[in-house]
Amino acid sequence: MTQQQVAAKPKRNWAILSQRIYPYLSILPVAIVIALFAIYPILHAVRMSFYQYILTRPNVHPFVGLGNFVNVITSYYFKESIQVTGIYTAASVVGVIVYGLGVALLMNTKIRLSTPLKLVILLPWALPAVVSGLLWKWILNSDFGILNGILYSVGLIDNYIPFLAIPSLAKASLVMAFIWKEGPLVAIFFLAGLQLIPHELYEAARIDGGTSWKIFRNVTLPLLRPVFLVVIVYETMTAILTFDTIYVMTGGGPANSTALISWFAYAEIFKSLNLGNGVALAIIIAMITLVLIILYLRVLRTEESTVTG
Amino acid sequence: MSKVNQRSIFLVFALLLIASLIVACGAPAAEAPPAEEVEEPPPAEEEAAEPVSLDFVVWAYGLDVIQDNINNFQTANPNCEINLQNYGWLDYHDTMVGRFAAGDPPPLLYGSDHWLQEWGSAGWLDSISDNFPQVLDYDDELAPYALQGMTYEDEIYGLSYYADTIDFVYNEEQLAEAGFDSPPESWQDVWDMSVALKEQGITDYPLILAFSQEEGASIEAMISMIYGRHQGSGALFDENNNPTFNSEGTAAYEAIEWLREAYEAELFDPASLTTAELDQVASMQAGAHTFTILPQYNMAALNLPDSGDYAGSFMIGLMPGDSHATVGYVRFYAMTPEAENMGPAAMDCAWKFLEYFGGKTDNEYTVVKRWAVENGLGFAQLPLFEDPDVQEAFGQWGDVDVIAAQAELARAKEGLTPWFGTWDVFTRAEIHKAILGQQSTMDTLNNMADYWNELATQ
Repeated sequence: MTQQQVAAKPKRNWAILSQRIYPYLSILPVAIVIALFAIYPILHAVRMSFYQYILTRPNVHPFVGLGNFVNVITSYYFKESIQVTGIYTAASVVGVIVYGLGVALLMNTKIRLSTPLKLVILLPWALPAVVSGLLWKWILNSDFGILNGILYSVGLIDNYIPFLAIPSLAKASLVMAFIWKEGPLVAIFFLAGLQLIPHELYEAARIDGGTSWKIFRNVTLPLLRPVFLVVIVYETMTAILTFDTIYVMTGGGPANSTALISWFAYAEIFKSLNLGNGVALAIIIAMITLVLIILYLRVLRTEESTVTG
Repeated sequence: MSKVNQRSIFLVFALLLIASLIVACGAPAAEAPPAEEVEEPPPAEEEAAEPVSLDFVVWAYGLDVIQDNINNFQTANPNCEINLQNYGWLDYHDTMVGRFAAGDPPPLLYGSDHWLQEWGSAGWLDSISDNFPQVLDYDDELAPYALQGMTYEDEIYGLSYYADTIDFVYNEEQLAEAGFDSPPESWQDVWDMSVALKEQGITDYPLILAFSQEEGASIEAMISMIYGRHQGSGALFDENNNPTFNSEGTAAYEAIEWLREAYEAELFDPASLTTAELDQVASMQAGAHTFTILPQYNMAALNLPDSGDYAGSFMIGLMPGDSHATVGYVRFYAMTPEAENMGPAAMDCAWKFLEYFGGKTDNEYTVVKRWAVENGLGFAQLPLFEDPDVQEAFGQWGDVDVIAAQAELARAKEGLTPWFGTWDVFTRAEIHKAILGQQSTMDTLNNMADYWNELATQ
């Protein structure tokens, strides 16, 4: 071994060591942030859900096991709010997909004014949910609302309709506000998906004599399946967790008809001052959402493998 | 990535997860931090050069007036600096609960009678009479319902910001147009007059109430409808806070039945179920309704010149029913233990502030009187009824004799307990269900009683 080789050895060792450590050092800040702001709060919340936390008794926190979960599941609101959440989520997700796909198809065509149209359609997405809720609250106001004004002036109604005071209409109004707010994002997703479909496929389909509907059903829709997966998962989560729009528009009323399960997680903590119950309910909501997402993924992947297989 | 690397990354994450788990499970159960040992500050006189800064949280009403009052207070007390913060009325309770629970209470704030038991039992508010026994000197001059509303476990927790009655209000001009020259005496009168108003096309829905599920004052309107029909105490709860309302024929049963029938007959605006107080006032000003029930302080705004075609037409009638009784409520200036934690100089400023705003300065209720004269806010300080300025101001938007008569018949809300607020939120939806016909009035009352008992046993 020459003298030169001996001197180079520790240098090489250090280089190998730093090369090995570098990846871990790189991810360490992110890992710490995730641990601090995601993992720790989740674990802390899970721990809290096993203790009684009534805010008016700040020094008494007995261990109650699954007591908070039992309280929540047997509460007066659980069954009813699960139904309301199910209806709202199903209507909102279907509605936003239909609306988003329609808008995307429109924006994908070469029409005049497509750029300003895109801007107008995207605008609601840029608004904060609270602002969007307030806008709809005033649009639907039963005394001064512009929607009532328009319907009345064109002779479609004889009396102003209290949209937010009739349970079925209140639900429909919230769904409409959701679609209006979330539709632009979905449209962008679908538009991106549409623009990735090769033109050759459409040309080939047309040469084979395919009608517009058949091309849409047999070419466009199957190739948009990955986008559908993303949209359904994301919008289902968003719909189940809707809170601010409801808080602003209806406050969960009338008669709890628009009170989603997420509303009661808030109510348990801030109205009933029962943090233990509120956290237990939040965990139940997270579990429900997780199960739904896994189901979606399985169903869509099964279909995908059937199509490709 | 090699298997070794993957395993190492997994190891790092696992270690972080375990560390988080240990920290999370070992974390103290959010117990209230023990009162920090505060270094004994120098006596207040020595701190003369160092102003004490106190946060004061209010709900957003008359912010310019509040700030002006604060400026006047600071001029008179240069050592006390007050920082005004505000939240919307509809969010106030929840926001403050969040601040209390997070250990961020302001030393001074607005309080209300329907939260006092809840906040007092949690130790979020500090007793004023315990710290400043001189506050008891004001007791003799306060309306009994207001004093009751600021008392928890025999301690005084507030000095009155304003105290009001929940009033039955009618549009005199519309009523005269329908052929009636006096307000309704009973709920049957309200029904008959509403039918006439509707038939003559004067108003489509003669009655509107602020019964939105998020409206914190809706319970007060509901209870006032019950009190008006009931003689004496025990309309909702007995002296041991046991429910008395859940049987047929009670005032509560009659009140909810009346609303349900009026809803069916389209005399009661369905939009009431989503209406909050601000919308209610705007609707009345627009002439869309003839009758309503609201806190009296809205009368000045309702009759404000230039506020609409009916400005000056809105009058207070005694609450319909045999007893004409109604709810009297109080909102007050309160303090939290935070003031005490800040030391004697802060406590000195806190008392000066509380007395300046809710008590007397130079032998006059300066700030309370200002709210009454300029904004039409009611008051708990009975001697103000004799004040010529107040009489003149109140005379501009109402009949002072009727106002005084209704104040005499006012009673505090029954059942003010730590769980009243929780029960109130539950009750709003239950009353909606009865009005909408989703369940019977008796089912609603039984559910309300059951939930009350459940909360009481917790």
